[in-house]
Amino acid sequence: MIGFKTVRELGLLGMNRRNAEYLLPKNERRLYPLVDDKLKTKDLLYAHQLPSPELYFVIRHNFEVKYLREIKFLKEFVIKPARGAEGRGILVIQGKTGDQWRKASGASLSMGDIEYHVSNILAGLYSLGGVTDIAFIEYCVRSHIIFRPVAFQGVPDMRVILYRGIPMMSMLRLPTRESDGKANLHQGAVGAGIDILSGVTLGGVHRNYLIDHHPDTNVPVAGLRIPFWDEILETSAKVYEVFRLGYFGIDFVIDHLLGPLILELNARPGLNIQLANREGLLPRLREIDALGPGVEDLKWERRLEISRKIAGKTRGRF
Amino acid sequence: MNRKVYLLAFFLVALAAALIGIKVIHGGQVVSYTPAQHLWRVSMILNIAGQGARAKVRMTLPKKTPRQIIYNEHFEDAQMSFSISDRTVTGNRMGYWRSELLDDSRSIQYSFSTQLKSESFLIPENLELPEDPVAAYPQELQPWLNASELIQSTDPKMKKLLKKIIGKDKRTHLVLRRIFNFVVCEVKYQSEIGSKDAKETLEKLVADCGGQTRLFVALSRAAGIPSRMVGGLIMNDSVKNITHVWAENYISGTWVPFDTTNDYFAYLPNHYLELYRGDTALIRHLGLSKIEYFFSIRKEKMPPVDNPWSLYVLPIHFQSSVKFLLLIPIGALVVTFFRTVFGVATFGTFAPILLALAFRQISLGIGLLCLGIVIFFGWILRKILDSLKILVIPRLSIIVTMVIIFIMAMNVVAFNLGHQNILYITLFPMIIITWTIERLSVIQIEDGTKAAFKAGAGTILVSVAAYYIMEIRELHAYLFAFPELLLVVMALLLLLGRYTGFRVLELWRFREFKKARRRDIL
Repeated sequence: MIGFKTVRELGLLGMNRRNAEYLLPKNERRLYPLVDDKLKTKDLLYAHQLPSPELYFVIRHNFEVKYLREIKFLKEFVIKPARGAEGRGILVIQGKTGDQWRKASGASLSMGDIEYHVSNILAGLYSLGGVTDIAFIEYCVRSHIIFRPVAFQGVPDMRVILYRGIPMMSMLRLPTRESDGKANLHQGAVGAGIDILSGVTLGGVHRNYLIDHHPDTNVPVAGLRIPFWDEILETSAKVYEVFRLGYFGIDFVIDHLLGPLILELNARPGLNIQLANREGLLPRLREIDALGPGVEDLKWERRLEISRKIAGKTRGRF
Repeated sequence: MNRKVYLLAFFLVALAAALIGIKVIHGGQVVSYTPAQHLWRVSMILNIAGQGARAKVRMTLPKKTPRQIIYNEHFEDAQMSFSISDRTVTGNRMGYWRSELLDDSRSIQYSFSTQLKSESFLIPENLELPEDPVAAYPQELQPWLNASELIQSTDPKMKKLLKKIIGKDKRTHLVLRRIFNFVVCEVKYQSEIGSKDAKETLEKLVADCGGQTRLFVALSRAAGIPSRMVGGLIMNDSVKNITHVWAENYISGTWVPFDTTNDYFAYLPNHYLELYRGDTALIRHLGLSKIEYFFSIRKEKMPPVDNPWSLYVLPIHFQSSVKFLLLIPIGALVVTFFRTVFGVATFGTFAPILLALAFRQISLGIGLLCLGIVIFFGWILRKILDSLKILVIPRLSIIVTMVIIFIMAMNVVAFNLGHQNILYITLFPMIIITWTIERLSVIQIEDGTKAAFKAGAGTILVSVAAYYIMEIRELHAYLFAFPELLLVVMALLLLLGRYTGFRVLELWRFREFKKARRRDIL
């Protein structure tokens, strides 16, 4: 345990303050569906020529489950619920042997298993509040070669948190055996802070513990230079202009062929990014608020400049 | 924004205070319990056994009079037909429990609250006895002047004794004082089974309250004063089956009490509850092989209210469900507190409240045990259904059905083992439990057993905390008396809604920052 005072001195952002002072006032309620529904996000990104994994097809009703037969021609794909909460209900298929598909973890699935999973998605088992949902099948991202030594299965992703259009903090999320190939920290993935200026990873966090090495591969998580980092930041700043959420996170993956792709947006990004960066969010949030109104409407180049300036100022905890 | 919230919260608290203030000042509602008020809660339990024939029990019920207020009455009919009617001559309020065929044992319960006042009278000194009592009093008082089977006021011995005691005096207060003193001084008190009548008391000069009172009533009637017996209860914190009787004489337009046994002359203390008038019995019955009764009396905390805009005006059997409703916001407050200040994860927002309410009926230990059993078997069933690839909605419906079958089975088993209060698990929030089973399984598959266990433990922790807070008796009393307190609950919720400080569990979650800081220094 650490004391209330220490937490405040470190500038850590708590759940209550995040909700009451940043999410509720800065994120307009009507914009949430654009982010919570991954299909809507995809549409918007596509319309603005922002990169995201290619959508293969959508299953809206239970009777359409039979169209799943089409996937027999696919070897790699991902099935996702459009409104899945906390990364739930995502099924990653990475290969096929005979009639059986292979999951990232190596477990094999039959056609019946996949159909069952899809009908569970449609019934809303994985969605926020249990409302009926839509399933979609998309391109299966193959991770960039640079992550191969450090990642255990699955695809690592980069989360960038933007406040008022300014990339504020970011981290690399590495799947582990525990997280079953998923890059969600609360499911047991590793988070490693990324220096906004250089795109180099800092130390990591796993299940609220500070770590230096990946628990499965035992490779140091720090010192990894993220490829396409400037492009990622640039895309982040542009995504803001499309969605206009005051406080949100963007999850990028880097495909070995297609480069950075936007996987999804998150209007309620978690707080463990602070542990991954060994730094509280509050000083940066205050720094941005000190710039006064109108920051949102600056051109993306200008906002990136501000982002780098602020990251440079508060850097130096390592 | 914060200022607006504080203002609104303050406004709500002020509004609640104002409404309560108005109630206290104008509604006569009392804020706190004071011993001087003499509030009592009485439960009368009547255990009867039938003979396999038509059965009837009649009991006199307390009546509202200026010196005794009766409120919060509750009747348990024990599956018999129940009715209340007023007697014409005595004005007694009678409760009847009837059954066409009673061949087993039943327990009738009747409970009420009462507020009592003491009463003392001054008998005018110049008042004289009327020459012709029959002509002097109106028709409806005649029954209280005539002799009856046990009150032999026309007996020659009685007349002779009266002359001896009062001589030639005609002044009412002196006559009464002399009769009273005779009974108090000459008749020895002795508790006995079955009271004596007036004549026998006079002969033996030993009697209990019944005999003494009958003698006093007989002598008063012989002197030409309308007089009657009154039966009732002497209140103290106890369980008892002894009632008490005293006398009432009609003097210059009012009924004045006299208790020879405890030496109260024209005075009735504030722990006397009047149940019936006239020389009658508290309980009469027909067709019973066994009857026993007792009163359980305790001091009452809730003040009586005579306010048409309070919850007290609702019929008694609705009041308990209102009390139930009033606890839900309290539960919500506890859940909110635990979630925003401590950061405890729970399954759903309202599951802990409903569970706490169910625990209140069943008792905590058994409630938790039953919940554990239901959820464990539900979870196993859910696993089986999952391997059969059943669609979500049918699967949920199957689990609901299973939960209900399980609860019924537990009811039957518990009943056969003699645990009556388990029957209340029918109050278990079945749908919520079903969803909990479903969520538990999903979280267990997706986030691991540890996360599922954590959320389960959080749910139980919060519902137990809510249970203990809902158990506070004062809370029930005050909420029911002043439902305006819910505005204060709302104000607290508003403040919690703007609490931006850290959750206690976040301090744990961020504990590793200490390490990070130490590294800075190095």
